[in-house]
Amino acid sequence: METIGFLMEGFAVALTPYNLMFALFGAFVGTLIGCLPGLGPANGVAILIPLAFTLGLPPETAMILLTSVYAGAMYGGRISSILLNIPGDEPAMMTCLDGYPMAQKGRAADALAISAIASFAGSLIGTIGLIMLAPVLARFALTFGPAEYFALFLLAFATLGGITGKNPMKTVIAATLGIMISTVGIDISTGTQRYTGGVLELYEGIDFILAIVGLFAISELLFFVEARMGRGRSKVNVGKLTLSFKEVVSTIPTQLRGGLLGFIAGVLPGAGASLGSFISYTLEKSVLGKKGRFGEGDIRGVVAPEAGNNGAASGALVPMLTLGVPGSGTTAVLLAMLISLNITPGPLMFTQNADIVWGVIAALLIGNVLLLVLNIPMIGVFVRLLSVPPMYLLPIVTMVAFVGIYSISHSTFDLYFMIVFGVGGFILRKLEIPMVPIILGLLLGPEMEKNLGHALILSDGDWTTLWSSPLAIGLWLVAGLGLVLPTLFGPILRRRMRNAIKEGPVSD
Amino acid sequence: MTGMGDRILGLFLLVLAVAYGWVAQQWPEPFGGAEGVGPETFPTILAIVLVIGSLYLMIKPDADARWPVGKSALELVISVIVLVVYAMLLEPLGFIISTTLAVGALSWRMGAPATKSFVTGLISAVVVFGLFNYGLSLSLPNGLLGGF
Repeated sequence: METIGFLMEGFAVALTPYNLMFALFGAFVGTLIGCLPGLGPANGVAILIPLAFTLGLPPETAMILLTSVYAGAMYGGRISSILLNIPGDEPAMMTCLDGYPMAQKGRAADALAISAIASFAGSLIGTIGLIMLAPVLARFALTFGPAEYFALFLLAFATLGGITGKNPMKTVIAATLGIMISTVGIDISTGTQRYTGGVLELYEGIDFILAIVGLFAISELLFFVEARMGRGRSKVNVGKLTLSFKEVVSTIPTQLRGGLLGFIAGVLPGAGASLGSFISYTLEKSVLGKKGRFGEGDIRGVVAPEAGNNGAASGALVPMLTLGVPGSGTTAVLLAMLISLNITPGPLMFTQNADIVWGVIAALLIGNVLLLVLNIPMIGVFVRLLSVPPMYLLPIVTMVAFVGIYSISHSTFDLYFMIVFGVGGFILRKLEIPMVPIILGLLLGPEMEKNLGHALILSDGDWTTLWSSPLAIGLWLVAGLGLVLPTLFGPILRRRMRNAIKEGPVSD
Repeated sequence: MTGMGDRILGLFLLVLAVAYGWVAQQWPEPFGGAEGVGPETFPTILAIVLVIGSLYLMIKPDADARWPVGKSALELVISVIVLVVYAMLLEPLGFIISTTLAVGALSWRMGAPATKSFVTGLISAVVVFGLFNYGLSLSLPNGLLGGF
């Protein structure tokens, strides 16, 4: 099979000592990002982009670094869920339900170890799914014309809020704002200056990297300042590892189910890692029924969501790599890296940049092994870092963001711009305008306009061409559903997720 | 009246959308005559979408968020000022001095003891400066601490 051949080539790329070193570094930093307060995965990857960029890393190395960070962040999120009953990131929410009770019973070390194993299994299943599905989807995507792409981009925006999203109109507004920002600068096809106001720095458009860092990192700092959550958390004792081999084996069916469900949730538009871990937890609960003691520290209650969210994390890479359309915040940030490396994302990547695609996939597999190895013996290090108070951490993170942005262009103009984005992001987040569609709009805006232009030129200005093929109509329909369904089912699903969390008798 | 936040945002976005759409209509027709899509086509669509979105926000606003008042609002303004001053002083004062001041001030305002804050600032500044200038050979501004 040619896929195996490509994968082997990918391993050849990923296993060079240079790339391996970056994968290890990324895995470590990623876990830190996942477990530290105030540093979500999207945020963490965003701050690292300018650094990867200014270091002049070759594209495959830069992507390997960021993918490892991404995988690592998914591992890290569980640590504070288990020890402190505070999810490190959103998908780790469900891990609190049984992880924290386990920790309270003095089995914290076991919960951490089994969740690392479950993360590994979920990721492995997800990555295998990615290897099988991605080339097929990429081949299919080659049949897309500009009209289909235009519809696909709309679908991506429409489903971004997710089925649990609150107000779809705010997603639309956010996406429109993002695309509007992307139209600033000289128009590529006609050379018209748009919205530059004659400011020289704006001729080339607004660099989305500084927008992303501002929207994420700076607004996060402001949120912490406002909430005055600067004090750290108390230190936690992990205790001894008592996990038996038999116990690990007994969770294997749970791991397989969780990983597979998570992967599917990750691939589908509008689902994502949070829903992946929720579905796999609920399924596990109904499959095992009375045999399980869910909510009281059942080991399978830790395994299911962890396998689920890591499976989903790998699954989310499928649409990003094959279609160039990310379905989550973190994959959107990974897409930003690809674009700034001058790689056109989409199906052609599989033929034109095969080394990068397969290098990244191989790095995901290697990264997971590294993460498993890192996470069991070194868990103590991460736990200690968990108690670093945000009042020292966040200013330093902000400073690193400043350094990163400054070192790209050595201009303070960009820094002011980043602060403006940060303050704007803070205000918009307060008003519950989501950040991710803004970023996706920034990234996809130019592509959308290009495809719209091509479609209309091909059809001699006939607008109906946008919905003339069955595939395009299908995409429009799903996009429409993506906006309508959340208003119908969103409240129900959200209530269920909330109830599931409240039911946990020990969690307060 | 509830939902003031969303209504004000809606009004702001409406003004923005109209201005954005209006500006797009002023561009000269590109050389070579009008094709199916000119530079103004896409912005015009965006402006229309945003007008609809902003009207929706004003008609059906969500419940208001809790806006910071008093002390936390002041702290927020201080933090933003610190960031702006940091960007302003980065080149004239150099990386180490400006970073020590900025990180220190932010930590201090977030509740850390003053001495500890500025020591953290100094250490992180020196470490990052060393890492960038010697490890990665990317130059950060030296500023006042000229030739070292």
